[in-house]
This record gives sequence, C-alpha cells and structure tokens, in this order.
Amino acid sequence: MAPEAVVGKVFGLRQGDVHDGTSNRTVAAWDSLGHVTLVLELEAAYGVALSTSDALEMTDVAAIKRVLQKRGVEWAR
Amino acid sequence: MPSASSALRTRKPTAPARFSTLLRQLKDAVPEAVAWLLDEEAAARAQWSASELTGLLQDLFTAAEGCLSDAGTSRVLDLVRRYSDVLPGRATADLLATLPLDVTDAGVRDVVRRVLERQPHHAGLLRVACEGAIRSGDGAAAHDLLTRLARADDDLATVRHVHRVRATVPAAGGPTARIALLSSFTVDFLVPYVDLECRALGLTPQIYVTPFNSWTQEVLAEASELRRFDPEIAFLAVSIDDLVPALAGAPPAADLEQAGDAAVERVLSVARAFTTWSGAVLVVHGFHSAYADPLGVLGGRSPSGRGRWLAELNARLSDGLRDLPRTFLLDVQDVLVRRAGGGPHDNPKMRHYASLRLGDRVLGEMARCYARYIAPLKGLTRKCVVVDLDNTLWGGVVGEDGPQGIQLGDTAPGVEYQDFQRYLAALSARGILLAVNSKNNPDDALEIIRSHEGMVLREDAFSAVRVNWRPKPENMVSIAEELNIGLDALVFLDDSPEERALMRESLPQVLTPELPTDPALYRQTVEALPQLQTLVVTETDRTRVEQYRARRQREQARDGAASLEEFLHSLEITVEIARADDSTLPRVHQLFQRTNQFNLTTRRHELDQLAAWARDPGWRLYTVRSRDRFGDHGLVAVGLVRLDRGAWVIDSFVMSCRVISYGVETALLATVCEAAAAAGAGAVIGEFVETRKNLPARDFYARHGFTADGGADGVTRWTRSLADGAVRRPPWVALVVADGA
Repeated sequence: MAPEAVVGKVFGLRQGDVHDGTSNRTVAAWDSLGHVTLVLELEAAYGVALSTSDALEMTDVAAIKRVLQKRGVEWAR
Repeated sequence: MPSASSALRTRKPTAPARFSTLLRQLKDAVPEAVAWLLDEEAAARAQWSASELTGLLQDLFTAAEGCLSDAGTSRVLDLVRRYSDVLPGRATADLLATLPLDVTDAGVRDVVRRVLERQPHHAGLLRVACEGAIRSGDGAAAHDLLTRLARADDDLATVRHVHRVRATVPAAGGPTARIALLSSFTVDFLVPYVDLECRALGLTPQIYVTPFNSWTQEVLAEASELRRFDPEIAFLAVSIDDLVPALAGAPPAADLEQAGDAAVERVLSVARAFTTWSGAVLVVHGFHSAYADPLGVLGGRSPSGRGRWLAELNARLSDGLRDLPRTFLLDVQDVLVRRAGGGPHDNPKMRHYASLRLGDRVLGEMARCYARYIAPLKGLTRKCVVVDLDNTLWGGVVGEDGPQGIQLGDTAPGVEYQDFQRYLAALSARGILLAVNSKNNPDDALEIIRSHEGMVLREDAFSAVRVNWRPKPENMVSIAEELNIGLDALVFLDDSPEERALMRESLPQVLTPELPTDPALYRQTVEALPQLQTLVVTETDRTRVEQYRARRQREQARDGAASLEEFLHSLEITVEIARADDSTLPRVHQLFQRTNQFNLTTRRHELDQLAAWARDPGWRLYTVRSRDRFGDHGLVAVGLVRLDRGAWVIDSFVMSCRVISYGVETALLATVCEAAAAAGAGAVIGEFVETRKNLPARDFYARHGFTADGGADGVTRWTRSLADGAVRRPPWVALVVADGA
C-alpha cells in the first residue's frame, strides 16, 4: 500500500487526488485528531513504530515518505 | 505506443504468467494495453485458473493505481460486468475499489453492487458503494453502507471517516439519544465508535464531549454546556493516573492510601452532584491504571500491591455509587480482559502525545459496552429469545443421531451447548422469556428436553414451544401471538444461515443476529447483544416465566368453560388499585418505557417526571395490581390523570398485554370515574394517540361510553359526562381500592 493510499484512507480522499504536496494545510480533516489517526494508521499499515518526533515531522505526504524511508519502510511504486 | 500494442496483437494467445511482464512494458500505453489484454482475456478466460485470473487482476490493479484512462476504466468495468460470477471476488473488489469510477453512473453502481454481494465485507468497495449512495441521494442506503463499512474495518481511520461522512448525509430518522462523555482524558476518539453503535441500534445519537479535563466544572457549574445539553445518559471516564500522577513512580504506602481516598471521594462527589440536577443514567468508569505495579512480582506479596489497592478503590466506588439513583459502575478492567481482538489496551506514545488513556484498539469494545446501557435506556430491550434446537441447544440432529448421539453434557464436545443453555437460563432469571422454534419431530425433540441428562433448560423454561415442519417465520408469528408481544420483542437464534436469512427477509422486526460457526462462541455472541440488557430488574421481571405458565393454565380453563362470563368468574380475579409510591415507581416507569400495544398515548414519561407527578396534588398516578387463582400478575397497569378544574384528564393509560380482556382496564377506568365524581368533577376526558402498534387500545374509550369530541396534533379527546354515572365495574372482578385512590 502506497503512503498516498494510507493518507487517502484516513482522510477519505481518492488515492489519485493525493500527492507529495498534500498536507495538513490543504486537507480540512487533517487536524490534530486526524494527525493522530494518520500516525496510527501508518504504523499499522507498515508494521513500524514511529516516534513522537517522527509524528511531528510528518505534516505532508513528502515528509511522510521521508520518515518512512528513514525507518526502512518500502512500498510498491 | 500503438506499435507495441499492434505487435502484441499479432502474437498467439499468451500464457497468463507473461501478462504482468507485458503490462509493465506497456506502462506508457496503459489504456491500449488494457484493452488488448481484456480482449485476450475474454477469449482465453475459460482455460484460466482462479489464481491466474487473480494475477491478471492484480496487474490491472497496479496499472489502475498508476493511471488508468477513462477508456481503460470502462473496459475493466465491462469485463467485470460480463464475468462477475467467475472472476475472483477479492481481486475484482480490490480492482474496483482503486479505479477512478464515476459513481454517479447507475451502471457503475450496479457493477459495484453485484461484486459487493460476493464480497460483502470488502472495506474498499464499501467506501465506493457509500460514495455512490450519497452522490445519488439515497440516504437510507448510505447510512446502512456506512455502518457496514465500519463493521468491515473497525480501525480508527475508517470509523472516523464513516462518522465524518455520515454528518453530510441527511438524518436517518430513528429516535435520538442524547449522550454526554465526561472525562479526564481525550475521549474524542470514542465519539465515532459510540455513534456507530447507536446507528447499529437504529438510533440517531447526539453526543456532547465536555472540554478537555473539565468534567468537574461542567457538572458543578450552574450554567454549563453540559446542563444545557441535558443528556439522557452520561459516561464519566476518569483515569486514576490523572487523579494520582504519583502512580508513575512508587509512592510510599501511606501516600498512596491517602491519594486513593481522595480520588474515590472526588469521583463520588461529582457523581452525587450530577444526580441532583440530572435525570440521566450515569455510567462511571471503574479505575484502571496504565502503569504496572513498580514493585514487580513483589506486588503479589505486599499489602500495598497496586492490584489490591485498585480493587479496594473500585469496591468503594461501587458501594458509593450504589447509593445514587440511576448510577452504574462500569468495570473497565473487566472490559479490557474480555475484549475481542488484539492490540494493547495502552499505547504509551499516544498517552503522552494525545492524552489517550484508552488505546485505539480498545475504543470499539468500550463503545459496544456503552451500547449495553444505551439500548435498554431507549427501550430497545427484547422480551423473548426464541431458539432453534439441533446444533443450537445441542450438537447434532436428534432425528438422525438419536437421543444418545447428540452432543450435550459436561465434557467437550457438548459442554459448550450446556454453557450456552446456562446463560439462557440466567437471562430467564432476569425476566427474558425463552421459546423454541424448531423443525423436528415433536416426539424426538421433546424427549431430549424432558429426559436428556445434559439438558439445563427443561420444558417449563420455555413459554412457547413450536416443534413442527412449518416455515419458521410462520411459527415466529404464532409465538408472538401466544405470548401477546410484538415481533419486535423477539430475538431468534439459529445455527443455520439459511434459516437466519429467511427470518430476516420475512420478518425484519425480529432481531436475528449472526451466530458464529463454532458453538463454543454462541454464549459470547448472545452476551454481547445490547438488546438483551436491562437497567432495572423488577419483581415482575423475576417472576415473568411463572406468570406465562399461569397464563397457559388460564387459557386451558377458558377452553373448558361454557361461556366467557363463566370463565371470567371462575378466574377469581382480584384487582388492587393504589397511588404510585417510591417502591412502585421503577415498575411504573418500566411500563411506560416498554408497553406498545395497550398504550393510549405512548408518552414515554421519564422517571423523575413520574416521581414528581406522584407527589403533585394536581395529578394522580394510579397503579393496578391483579391476581387470580392461577397466579399473581403483579403490577400490570398504570393510569396518569391530570385533575383539571371541572374534568379529569387521563394523560396516559398503559397496561401489560398479558391481562387484556380480563376487565382490569375497566376496573381502573371505573375507579378513576368514581374518584372524579367524588371530587366534584363533571366529566372524565381520555386522550388517545394512534400509533402503529396500539391497535388493541383503539376502541378503549368508545367501549366505555366515551364520545370523541375533537382534539389536535394527533391527539383525540374522548369525553364521558359523569352525569351519566360512572363506568360500571366488571362484576367478575373483586376490586380493592386503597385509601386516597
């Protein structure tokens, strides 16, 4: 599952509408509770434990990909 | 890249394994590749195995994730439409969920619907179907699909999505439920789960969450939002870790003792304050801590061990709450121990980062637990559980395996059925009736029920028994008629998916839950049904099974009597009429909540309001008890009368159906008329509001010489002038009227 798909699932967006620039400023549902949901969903989707600092860094899709790569996560591109 | 695709077209049919490679090579020309591929597929489909087809669809899926043109999408849809019965369901659903479908198109929605029939729990496809229902303005279908989606995938992301989307759909109808969540930590994530459970019960919830950690102020302040919201039920979730932050470390025993006292007193004082101004049911979380005992294993030998300390706090909390009206302790540790599904109950990161004291994997279970209070509060408790026999109450088929061949006893296999029967017996002890609806030879089945040593439930445990070869829905209607309760008061438990489907299809009012294939899980499944919970058990509930047995004897007596009048005289009915007091108010309230058929206005008055009227000299709240030579009916009817100047007005008149036609209702009406005449009133006015269910009450006032003379807003007013005398007491009833009534 691509990070775009996870973000789409959490915020109810079609995967095709999610891109690197999609962020907590462009998506209304991406508020603080939405962010917690996103972090939990990313952890579940990739079986990875993200730290609070990771969570704070992931404010857009490009940053999510950066953090996931740092944590050794791979996904089909 | 037309050249590539035309080159491919000239090749002979390609082995399926090659498709993925080809597809990748054609990545830039995806639409054409897909078109070609599908033509090939159409030709070669018959020779492909399911796994090969799955592989093909997965390749398409990958292509779709990248970019599939409109043309490509419509080709895929065409393929699915034509071959939906042979394509692998899961892979097809995956594919459809990913395509950029135009869900406003009726044809597209039809394809989605057909695949969904084969993959009813596919979350991705359910999302697509929801969007389709919403965009086409089908609100009822949208609500149903949203509930199914959250059931199919109950993780936080999906359940929040469902909640968010539901807010955009017109209200589903159904009774509202005003629910307040008060907490010392973040409970916002619980809201979508509680909403979901309410929707599954057919309710439309309004949920108020007190601002972060302001549970005390909201209860105590005179003009709080909570008071304005005026909840019907409130959940108070206070974490001991918030009240005693020192729990993270190892405080001295004396400090811990003192902090524990203060914590219990603080929660109790807020609960007490709440009950002084609110008539709502209050559910208070018991304490649990995220921190394990820092003593480690030594805690099990120490007088100040954490487990023991918490158990004592919870015991004191329970004692204190029992003194308050309408207040319940929710044993959170028990919920955590029993919850289905995995995952930790505490997520330390989220506890620190988001003040979550209940981990995300606990939220669903906690909300289901809440529903067990909400359902009975909203009058959704069912009155009778109807069970199948073979493979439901025992293992095997008695007609084939014989009485010795069935599985039922105190060892496995067979003990799981006994466990299940014991739980049904416990339900019966708190007033829920049991009945049998089975396709069997009556002699075979009754032999087991009467004499098999493994049976827990004997014949007298069942208030109605249908063992025959008739369709089960037909039996169900006849059981409802015999017990004189509505079909919507029944639960049907049957191991057969076909029988369950037939029952849901024929009688949707009957609650027919899914039963797991493993009989060892039957008990848990039934334990989890919110519709079998009760908030109050009255004396009437405890003796209900006995009452229905007496009723059967009465009916046998009627069959033997020469005339109805003779039969009624032979019953030796005594009716006692009194004014409601504290000891009878819970039963009075229960009658108001539960009675649908003989209910003249179906006004669901709340307990507090009823208590106030019972004391108000401007009102009379009558209670009616009845008994006869076969048994005691208990408190069976209630009349609420407003003593207006000149005329007494019967606001409500509610009677349990099991005493209909014995003259009990006439006795009460006569008493009201006599009291009104004695007080100098000129007339008695009865109000009537027609509902779908109160047909048995429709001619009540007409039968007793009242005349309809207008009304408004669905309320008909029936008047009887007392100049014509009071309503005549039924001659076969010995009527005892208490002083003041």
